[in-house]
Amino acid sequence: MTDRSSPILEMKGITKRFPGVLANDNVDFDVYPGEVHTLLGENGAGKSTLVKILYGLYPADEGEVLIDGEVVSLDSPTDAIEHGVGMIHQHFMLVPTLTVAENVSLGLKSSRGALTDLKAVSERILELSNEYGLDLDPSAVVWQLSVGERQRVEIIKALYRDARLLILDEPTAVLTPQEVDQLFVTLRKLTDDGRGLIFISHKLHEVLALSTRITVLRRGAVTGQIPVEGATRESLANMMVGRAVKLTPDKLPAEPGEIALKVQDLIVMGDRGVIAVDGLNLSVRRGEILGIAGVSGNGQRELAETIAGLRQSESGTIEVAGIDVTGARPRKIRDAGLAYVPEERMREGAIGDFTVWENLLLIDYSSPEYLRSGFFKFGAIKEHSQDLVDTFDIRTPSLETSCGSLSGGNIQKVIMARELSSSPTVLVASQPTRGVDIGAAEYIHRRLIDTRNELTDAEFIHAKLIEHRNACTAILMISEDLDEIFGLSDRVAVIYEGKIMGIVDPETATREEVGLMMAGITTTNA
Amino acid sequence: MGEVFTAAVLVAVVASAIRLAVPLLLASLGETFGQRSGVLNLGVDGIMLLGAFAGYYAVLKTGNVWLGLLAGAIVGLFLGLASSFIAVTLKAEQGISGIGVYLFGLGMSDLLFQKLVGTPIPINTFPKVDIPILSDIPYLGPMFFQHSTVVYLAFAAIPVSTFIINRTTFGMNIRAVGEYPEAADTLGVSVAGTRWAAETIGGTLAGIAGGVLAISLGIFQQNLTNGAGFIAIALVYFGAFTPLGIMWGALLFGAINALVLELKTLEIIPRDLSNLAAMAPAIITILALAVVARRIRAPAALTKPFTRGH
Amino acid sequence: MNRITKLAILIAVFALVAAACGSDSDSGSDSGGDGFRVAIVAPSASNDLAFTQSMVDAVNSLKDSGVVSEVAITDGTFVPEDGATAIRDYASDGYDLVIAHGSQYGAFLPEIAPDFPDVSFAWGTAADTYGLPNVFSYEAASDQGGRVMGIMAAALSQSDVVGIVGPIEVGDAKLYVDGFKAGVLVGKPGADVPVNYIDSFSDVALASEAATSLIGAGADVLSGTAQMVVGAITVAKADGVLWFGTQANQTSLAPEIVVASQVYHWEGILEEIVSNVKGGTLGGELYSITFANGGLVIEYNDDYPLPDDVRELGDNAVKAFEDAG
Ligand SMILES: Nc1ncnc2c1ncn2[C@@H]1O[C@H](COP(=O)(O)OP(=O)(O)OP(=O)(O)O)[C@@H](O)[C@H]1O
Ligand SMILES: [Mg+2]
Repeated sequence: MTDRSSPILEMKGITKRFPGVLANDNVDFDVYPGEVHTLLGENGAGKSTLVKILYGLYPADEGEVLIDGEVVSLDSPTDAIEHGVGMIHQHFMLVPTLTVAENVSLGLKSSRGALTDLKAVSERILELSNEYGLDLDPSAVVWQLSVGERQRVEIIKALYRDARLLILDEPTAVLTPQEVDQLFVTLRKLTDDGRGLIFISHKLHEVLALSTRITVLRRGAVTGQIPVEGATRESLANMMVGRAVKLTPDKLPAEPGEIALKVQDLIVMGDRGVIAVDGLNLSVRRGEILGIAGVSGNGQRELAETIAGLRQSESGTIEVAGIDVTGARPRKIRDAGLAYVPEERMREGAIGDFTVWENLLLIDYSSPEYLRSGFFKFGAIKEHSQDLVDTFDIRTPSLETSCGSLSGGNIQKVIMARELSSSPTVLVASQPTRGVDIGAAEYIHRRLIDTRNELTDAEFIHAKLIEHRNACTAILMISEDLDEIFGLSDRVAVIYEGKIMGIVDPETATREEVGLMMAGITTTNA
Repeated sequence: MGEVFTAAVLVAVVASAIRLAVPLLLASLGETFGQRSGVLNLGVDGIMLLGAFAGYYAVLKTGNVWLGLLAGAIVGLFLGLASSFIAVTLKAEQGISGIGVYLFGLGMSDLLFQKLVGTPIPINTFPKVDIPILSDIPYLGPMFFQHSTVVYLAFAAIPVSTFIINRTTFGMNIRAVGEYPEAADTLGVSVAGTRWAAETIGGTLAGIAGGVLAISLGIFQQNLTNGAGFIAIALVYFGAFTPLGIMWGALLFGAINALVLELKTLEIIPRDLSNLAAMAPAIITILALAVVARRIRAPAALTKPFTRGH
Repeated sequence: MNRITKLAILIAVFALVAAACGSDSDSGSDSGGDGFRVAIVAPSASNDLAFTQSMVDAVNSLKDSGVVSEVAITDGTFVPEDGATAIRDYASDGYDLVIAHGSQYGAFLPEIAPDFPDVSFAWGTAADTYGLPNVFSYEAASDQGGRVMGIMAAALSQSDVVGIVGPIEVGDAKLYVDGFKAGVLVGKPGADVPVNYIDSFSDVALASEAATSLIGAGADVLSGTAQMVVGAITVAKADGVLWFGTQANQTSLAPEIVVASQVYHWEGILEEIVSNVKGGTLGGELYSITFANGGLVIEYNDDYPLPDDVRELGDNAVKAFEDAG
């Protein structure tokens, strides 16, 4: 239907500077009709910046943008929309208190003049959702929708404006595997129509599955542009990071010691007043990683929060290092030896407005090492923080940088550094690498395995009384990323509707088997 | 106690409650537009005072109450524009700049009054308009249908505001920029433009509210509003940011005051408890706010200036 | 827009605000006298036709007669803390006499006065000098005028219901209200005298509703005290209900219905205070204006056709006070 031989979009020599950062460095980028051109790069490589320039959210310092061969000026999203550009943002751009139809019609001229024309909009939404397999209720209020449904609203928003060039900035980061499959079906329909897609993702298998071409950015500059044919996960990872990356971490077999975390008959209510964790039992031994696999919303979040003392249980018991901490305050549970890496990095894990060193100190701030009669000992604190920044390879301009301005991967490293510096007996880590680039994910994975093997029991190190493995950390890792689950876990527990469906050995179990259990179907041998 | 609450007393209390509620209602409706768009204007009382003076002065000079109302509206409009400029364009800290506007209105209205008028002179007030047929209904007539035209207009403004907020594209834009301006911006909705418009409506209604107050009382005096603008702001929360909720809040506030006054006239409240009774409106309001506010979520972007790309 | 421009605009705005707020204090120039400087700090406007105006008028007349040479006024300080600041400022500016015209300022005097032993303070309306050597206090026997007008109100009322709007039940207001009520009951022992203290000195809207409520209860004559009663007077005027005023002559507000007003003339006692100060006595005495010492005067509205017999009742009552005093 469209002429597929000339590009819809050409970006030439785009340069964009932020204070202290060269976010885009003379970038050339183009998109042809019917293709998916992927942008790949580490956190902070400049992917979002490039597409935001295209969408009129930032002005470029240098360079030009051509659409259908003509130079255009994109000063605002309105300009971009007029030129047929649509964008699905890394963070959803939906007004939670408005309905689907209202969100879609925002900014559009109404056929009824000053009055809204939600009826007409709803009809068109239903047409589009039928055409592209995007199931949606136009009258639903957005905050009630699941993440997958919200994404569909975003896509409909772009289609409604007849976008010929669609930008998808990490659209899969928050989706379940099933939702990702569904999304890809829709996206392929869009390219069949001759639309051009710009796709951004950290998940290499998705990139390989969807893309036509791939452009890799590193520190703002293009380091390679290749067709998908012949590309492998390893080759892409190497281009991104600039060195060989181990996608599956090496690890020695576990040597599990005594039970360090024990959860019995735990029942927890969710936010909506329904049971989220339903009589759950599990135990994790020192020196092993127990992976919890499951589709999000099956009680993982509530389980982690309850263990960390952030949520009250209805019944059941939780023991950390043999101490009953059921219903105890978070501080007490930490004192018992628990460390916690929460799922919502920016909301619960770190304080965005605080500096890096302040975030590194959040737990230890009252220890006599850093506090003398109410005053911080800045010398000791800075030294300790710099140590952590170095050992955990946290890439920050300085210790005084506010944590919120770091990339996702680096924020996660700050949290990990803080949590692990307390030498915990038990570590609960939720979605440790969600939205984190390959380089940082590799680092975090290696760190988790090291922690499993590391001696953390100071008493043991001195007394050498117990067996070696009894001094290591027990790790409970909750993840929706099956690669991560299979790559790291010593045992895999599958959670479904607040219960453990079964525990399998990642060496022998298949992904299909685990996938079925995640859907609530038990196989005979599980 | 029974004979105390005669029909006549009830009629008097309701009619008085409605009169007391009207300025609050108008100012609060205006503030709702601003707050729904994400702008908190703490200067309402100052705008009311200047609107009150303008209304008073225009009536004093022309004798025409409608010109007075217009003068209040125009002054409110300009102060609304000024508030928008400060809050939206200069992105000032809204909790502070609003107090500046309040102090400006408080001082300026008094200064103008001293310089231009001096000794208070009574002015014409809004004529009472009995609504045919309805005003003849026993009890209900004198309660609801024997008021001045502005009272009817103020109550008519409630469904109109609800309609604007919920059914027009402008209202939808207001809700969007108050909740998630980034999202509205990416769809080409002008965040600044919408906020300017909403905030200016707010200022205009505050000016009108002041004008209504002065012209209803037929007099102006320093600090005539006596803090009504701040109560109007509290009512926005009380009314859950909806015009109908605000109406109930304003009526409740008016009713408590009217009831306490009536009980004092009837000397039912013992003299030594009179102080306690005086606190009743405040206490009940605070309690109601505490109870209601738990279930209310303010617009997420309230008081947060918007800059693209942050 | 850059920061400098923003800053400039904000400064301009606040300068305007400051100009508007600061403008209510003004001071007359030196003229004659022997350099005696008086400052007044008062809660409402200088022309409020009530409490503040009565004192401002008195001091200005002393200035006209050359007893004092300079008068400074800070009015509208209805926030007591603001008033206290102004009082302290005048004292440190070396004014000879600082008049704290409002009972709400009293609490600050024990803190301020000892710091300025050479400055004399006069505080009213009150009857307490806190035992301080440089504080005078003054009050008005407003119950006297209240009683006089209450007697006339009883005579004029056809419904035998006479209503009173009051602010807060303290000080001068309470004195007046109690006196007025007593007067009505003297005139008509069976009369009904509902009193509505609205618990505010400044809420005009509430005063207006209180008047409406009293009229609803049958009152055909009203009185009231404090600056918020303007709201009540306009209601009385609209409903054709008679009004007795106090603290200043309120006839101009509603010539149709104002019968008479009790007016305060502070000149007499002020002259005494000034001569005390000049003579070296800076405080310690209590003063009260009464009919007997000429501080209280009933001013009648010439436009109101007051029956002669009622006028006579009033004159007799005044005379009784003069004779007794
Ligand atoms: N508004 C801004 N102000 C200052 N610096 C910014 C801003 N936006 C981005 N940056 C910086 O520009 C660089 C590129 O950021 P960008 O968001 O484009 O990275 P990205 O490739 O999308 O990363 P991620 O994978 O984490 O989403 C980063 O160093 C970032 O800190
Ligand atoms: Mg990004």
